[in-house]
Amino acid sequence: MAQAAPVAQPDVDLTYEVPEQVTLLSDAWRRLRRNRLALLGGAIILLLLIVAAISIVWTPYPTWLEAVGPTYQPPGAKHLLGLDAAGRDILSRIMGGALITVQVGIGSAIILSLIGIPLGLIAGFYRGRVDVVISFFINIWYGIPDLLVALILVFVLSDALHLIPRGVFVIVVAFALTRWMDMARLVRGQTLALREREFVEAARMSGARDFAMLFRHIFPNALGPIIVQATFAIPAAVLFEAFLSFLGLGLPPPTPSWGAMAADGYHGMDFAPHIVLAPTLALSLTLMAFNWLGDGLRDAFDPRMRR
Amino acid sequence: MRGTLLYIGQRLILIAVTTALVSSIVFLLLHQIPGSAFLNETRTTPQSLAAHLHHYGLDLPLPQQYANWAIGVLHGNLGESLINRGVLITPLLIRETSVSATVGAFALIVTIGLGLLLGVFAALRQNTWVDYIASSAAVVGYSIPSFVIAIFLLLIFGHYFYDWTQGTVYYNVGWGDWTQVPVPAIALGLPYASYVARLTRASMLETIRTDYVRTAWAKGLRARIVVTRHALRNALIPVVTILGPLVTGIITGSVVIENIFGIPGLGKEFVTSILARDYNIVIGVFTFYAGLVGLANLTVDVIYPVLDPRIRY
Repeated sequence: MAQAAPVAQPDVDLTYEVPEQVTLLSDAWRRLRRNRLALLGGAIILLLLIVAAISIVWTPYPTWLEAVGPTYQPPGAKHLLGLDAAGRDILSRIMGGALITVQVGIGSAIILSLIGIPLGLIAGFYRGRVDVVISFFINIWYGIPDLLVALILVFVLSDALHLIPRGVFVIVVAFALTRWMDMARLVRGQTLALREREFVEAARMSGARDFAMLFRHIFPNALGPIIVQATFAIPAAVLFEAFLSFLGLGLPPPTPSWGAMAADGYHGMDFAPHIVLAPTLALSLTLMAFNWLGDGLRDAFDPRMRR
Repeated sequence: MRGTLLYIGQRLILIAVTTALVSSIVFLLLHQIPGSAFLNETRTTPQSLAAHLHHYGLDLPLPQQYANWAIGVLHGNLGESLINRGVLITPLLIRETSVSATVGAFALIVTIGLGLLLGVFAALRQNTWVDYIASSAAVVGYSIPSFVIAIFLLLIFGHYFYDWTQGTVYYNVGWGDWTQVPVPAIALGLPYASYVARLTRASMLETIRTDYVRTAWAKGLRARIVVTRHALRNALIPVVTILGPLVTGIITGSVVIENIFGIPGLGKEFVTSILARDYNIVIGVFTFYAGLVGLANLTVDVIYPVLDPRIRY
């Protein structure tokens, strides 16, 4: 058998430059790195997370322990942020409050996404009657003060579930139940646009099932705006919890919630302003950090939208 | 004109439907909890409890209660307070609405006035110290909750001003005097003012670079005319779009502000009745709020085509 003649190899170098694969996240990170305000926000959030994690295992004093020193003691070497009206160490309580803030913020963002994203995907993908029902609900909801519904829900849920000392869980659920509409509306809009794109068409022609199309093709492409929306939901949830606790409708008294601490300090404000200053500054700084990071993420994920 | 009236009519119906729907949901939610308003009272005998429940019709089956309530609402009667027997809710809430509306209107003036002023000056003096100060203030300001601002204002106006002026000028917590309106209104309006300022600055920066503004400058018009009549009028359009959420925010914010400053408005009533478990009033306040937010949004939508004649209904 005659040997096949060796195929002549062309004498050229076939290496060509492979374009660097850039994922959504690494691309966004590259732009986010240049935004100093967003980085500062990120650093503050990191600090918040670290403090919250430390407070699980250690605080200088127990957050509930009263009379660790003279009441209303101003900040000093022994108690860095001073003591409150009941003689509790404010630094310890700020640390405990950080944990509650993290739980409320991240818990709400997660539950809200779990409700809003699937509903938005379904409404945008199937359109028709399903969309009409979901959109009607969303539009009705835009006409009402949702924070006040959430406030009522906190009461109803805690009574219905017999959680008489109200916990973080009830607040998170009440908030998420009244705020998933923003997320659903966003995802619905994204889905409506994405479902007409060529790659979704290609997936449909290759026989992908609806579920696979929704979660493997449409959802990942809407991820940027979803992350931005979820980031902005966190400060809103934190503010809601502070608002409730400040009014005395939130977490019960010994809990070191920043809102409740501000309400406690408010009564002795004219002679011991440090009690009210610590929680309000911590709260404002946290909200600022999340808003800055959210703004930065929005610019990073969508470079066309410059504010 | 006829189209506008038709549009307003449709919207009014939608507001009525929304209000009815939402307050019904709140009604049904709150009635899942048994009449706990009376359980807090000391010396409650089973007989007196039954008499109380009978007086308010709370011993009827829930559908019957709902029907009674809905018929009452259609007649403008929101029922009777559970705690203070004989106090009718509708007149009480109308009185409180006027108080809340006063504070809210002043807050809106603070928000829009200050926001526009800061935004316009920041845009006109872009990249100067005016811009940097205004923009930084806006970036910081919109993250500070209104109750934190309220606390600081109370500290400054209620405490330090009293000390500095030997008690001649200071803010007295309470209600009943015109001098008591501005401080709560500032606390309520300030966080949203920074939002308006950011938006105004952005849209103003776009507008002052357009051809028609350049033409206006080239014609030799005075700066005031160019800014107010050519640039600002068009820069206002995106700002008007957020007026709706803004009004909702001010209404929600008033709940905490009224409690801090001791203002006898809807917000204070809302919190007091929730704590006292006076659910009839809670439902009533909620119905009022839902209607108010709807009407506020409608007003915004009616103003919109006045500013932007391209929009017609």
